[in-house]
Amino acid sequence: MKKFTRFFFSMKFALILLGILIIACVAGSVIPQGEIASYYMSEYGQSGGGAILAIGLDDVFHCPWFVALTVVLCLNLIGCNIIRFPSLLRRTRNGFTPEKYLSSELSGKRVELFRSRDPETLFSKCGFRKLVKGQTSDGRSYIYGVKNKAGIWGAWLCHLGMLIVITGFGLGQMKQVKYAVYGIPGQTKPVEDTQYELTIDDFEVTLRDDDTVEQYTASITMRDTKTGEEASGQTSVNHPCTLLGMRCYQNSTGWAATVQIWKDDELIQEDVLCAGEYVNVEDKEGLTVMFSAFYPDYIRDKDGMPMTASSRMNNPAYLYRLYYQNEILGMNVLEGKEAITVDAYTIIFKDPQSYTLIQIKRDPYTWLAAIGAVIMMAALILAFYLRTAEVYASRSDDGSWPVSGYSRKGGADFVDMLQEKHKELEGGNVSDEQ
Amino acid sequence: MSSEQFLNVENTLFTIAMAGYLIAMVLYALFFALKKEKPGKWAGIITTLAFAVHTAALIVRSIGAGRLPLSNQYEFATSFAWGICSCYLIFLWRYHFRALGAFVLPVVFLIIGYAAMQSKEVRELMPALRSNWLAIHVSSAIISYGAFGVSFAVSLMFLIRRKMPDSAFWQEHIPDEKRLDLISYRAVSLGFLFLTFVIISGAIWAEHAWGSYWSWDPKETWALITWFIYAIYLHLRISKGWKGKSAALFAVIGFICVIFTYIGVNTLLPGVHSYA
Ligand code: HEM
Repeated sequence: MKKFTRFFFSMKFALILLGILIIACVAGSVIPQGEIASYYMSEYGQSGGGAILAIGLDDVFHCPWFVALTVVLCLNLIGCNIIRFPSLLRRTRNGFTPEKYLSSELSGKRVELFRSRDPETLFSKCGFRKLVKGQTSDGRSYIYGVKNKAGIWGAWLCHLGMLIVITGFGLGQMKQVKYAVYGIPGQTKPVEDTQYELTIDDFEVTLRDDDTVEQYTASITMRDTKTGEEASGQTSVNHPCTLLGMRCYQNSTGWAATVQIWKDDELIQEDVLCAGEYVNVEDKEGLTVMFSAFYPDYIRDKDGMPMTASSRMNNPAYLYRLYYQNEILGMNVLEGKEAITVDAYTIIFKDPQSYTLIQIKRDPYTWLAAIGAVIMMAALILAFYLRTAEVYASRSDDGSWPVSGYSRKGGADFVDMLQEKHKELEGGNVSDEQ
Repeated sequence: MSSEQFLNVENTLFTIAMAGYLIAMVLYALFFALKKEKPGKWAGIITTLAFAVHTAALIVRSIGAGRLPLSNQYEFATSFAWGICSCYLIFLWRYHFRALGAFVLPVVFLIIGYAAMQSKEVRELMPALRSNWLAIHVSSAIISYGAFGVSFAVSLMFLIRRKMPDSAFWQEHIPDEKRLDLISYRAVSLGFLFLTFVIISGAIWAEHAWGSYWSWDPKETWALITWFIYAIYLHLRISKGWKGKSAALFAVIGFICVIFTYIGVNTLLPGVHSYA
C-alpha cells in the first residue's frame, strides 16, 4: 500500500499522466470532434470509426476517461503539494542559517570561490540585504546571507494555481448556462426557457471606407419577467456587457427581411423573418414561405450559384422556398420588386436589415480560474526569477575572507555573478582566484 | 508618406534583413566548418546589423498599417523570426556564446523565408481581431517562441556535443554540458513563463470575443500540448538521472510542437484560429 501511495503521488507518475494527456490532446485535435456517428464510419472505415466511437475519441475532452485522467492528475498534484508543504515551511522558518549551511552535504557550499577583503560590501552589492554575523566554534568571524527565500515556494504555488484553474474550469463546465437570442431592433424575445427576456433596442453595423466591417454594435435591454428588474447596455464584438449578472456577447449577424402576403390587393399578413426562418400563410393552411438568404449585390458565380459581389445595396435579391403541405413547391431568387404568386396570393419581400445574434452566458466560476491563472503567473516568476541563494565567508588567519556561495536554481550563473561583482569591487589582482 | 510608400520601404528593409541573415548563416557555417575566428566575428556583426534593419522594417510596417504587425501569417512569421533573433542576441550578450548562432540562424532564416512566401498585403482587421488582448497575446507568443527557439538550438548543441571530436576550438566556443543545460533551462523558463501568459491572455481574448475562455479549439489544444511538453522538460531537469540528455530531447520536441502550433495547425487542422 505504502509503495502504491508513494508511486501515486510521485513526480514520475505525474509525468506519465502528462504524457497520456498529451496523446489524448493530439487525438482530440487531429480527429474532428463532435461529429455524428456516420461521419466517423465513412471517414475512418467501419473498424476505425467503431473504435473511435467506442473509446470516445469523437469527444475526447468530455469523455469519462479524459475527465478521470484529469482528476487523477489533480489528486497526484494535491498529494505532492501536501507532502511537500511541511518541509517547505520548515525550510522557510529555519532552513537558511549559517549552521545549516555549514552542515549541508552539498559540495557546492564548500567550494571556496575566491578570497575577499570586504565580503560585507560584496554581499550587499549582490543583493543580500540582511546579513548574519557571528563567530564559528573555533572563534573565527563569519558572515552569512540568504536572499529570495520565497523562491522555494515557486513550484508549490504554481501547482496550487494549476489546481485552482482546473477546479474553476471544471465547476464552470458543470454550472455554466448559455443561451442565444437573435432578432432585429424593436423585437423582444424570451431568453430560451428562463424568466428573462431580451429587447434589441438598436443594432448598428459600422463599415469602413472600403466596405469592410469595422464593428457590430447592439443596444439591448434584459428584463427579469418575475421581478420586473431590467438593465440596458451596449455590446459589440470584443466588448461584451453584463446585464442582470449575465454576460451578453455580440456573436454574429445575418439578414432579416419583411415578408408581406397580399390577397386581391389587400395586405393580409406581414412578418419579419431572419434568414432561415419560415412563416405559415394563415389564410391558406399548409402553405409555408421560407426566407432562405439575402444578397445585397446579387450575382451568380461561375457554377450559377447565387452570391453577393459586395455589401452595397446595388442589386438586392431574396432567396426563398415555398412549401405546400410539407412538399417543396418552389425555390428561387427574387430580384428587385419581383413577387411570388400562388393562387390568389402574392408574396413579396422588402426592407432587408441586419439582425443580431446575442449570446448570453453565465459562468459563476470564471473568477476562480482567473485567480488560479494569476497565482500561476506570480509563481512562475518566483520559481524562475527569484532564485534562492546563499553566501558565506569566514575570516582566515591572514585577514582575507574565503567566500563560498550556492544557489540550486542559479547554478553556475550565480557563482559567475558573485565572481564578477568581486572583480568589479576589488579588481582581479587583489584576491587569489582559485 | 502614403501607406503604400511605407510598405515599399518595409519591403526593401525586409529583403536586406533576410539577405543579412542568409550571409550570417553562411559565415556561421564557415566559422564552424573551418574553425576560424574571423567568419564567426563577422557573422555576429552581420546578425546584429540585419536585426537592426529587421527591427526598422517592423517599425515602418507598424506605422504604415497603423497597428502592430501581428495579424496574419506574414506578419506573425516576420515577428517570430525577429523574436528568435532578439532572444539569441540577448543570450549572446549574456553568455558570450557565439557558436550558438550556427544553430539559431538557420531557424531564423527558415522562418523569415516562410514569411517571404506569404502575402504581404495589409488588410483591415475583422472586428474580433481588433483587441488589445490579442495584441498582448501575440506579442508574448513572439517572446515565448523566440526563447524556445534559442533553447532548441542550445539543446541540439547539447545532443551533438558528445559526438564532436575534442579540440581546443570546440572547448573555447562550446560551453560544457552543464553550462549548455543551464543556458537551455534559462531559455525554456523564459519561454515557459511567456507561454503561460500567451495561453492566459488568449483565454481572456477568447472570453471577450467568443464568450468562452477555453473551447478546445485545435490551436488552443496545441498550445496546451506545447506547454505540457515544456512542463515535462522542467520536471525532468529536476529529477536526477533524467537531467541532460532526456531534458534536451524534450526541448527539441517542444520546439517542433511550437512550429506545428504555429504553421501546422493552421494548414492541417480546422478551427477559429485559421485566419491568424
Ligand atoms: C501540468 C502540470 C504541472 C505544471 C505546469 C508544473 C509546473 C512546475 C514548475 C514550473 C516547476 C518549477 C520548475 C523549476 O523551477 O525549474 C515545477 C516543479 C516541480 N513539480 Fe510540477 N508541475 C506540474 C505537475 C506536477 C505534478 C502533478 C507533480 C506531482 C508529483 C509535480 C511535482 C513537482 C516537483 C516535485 C517539483 C520540484 C519542486 C522544486 O524544485 O522545489 N509537478 N512544477
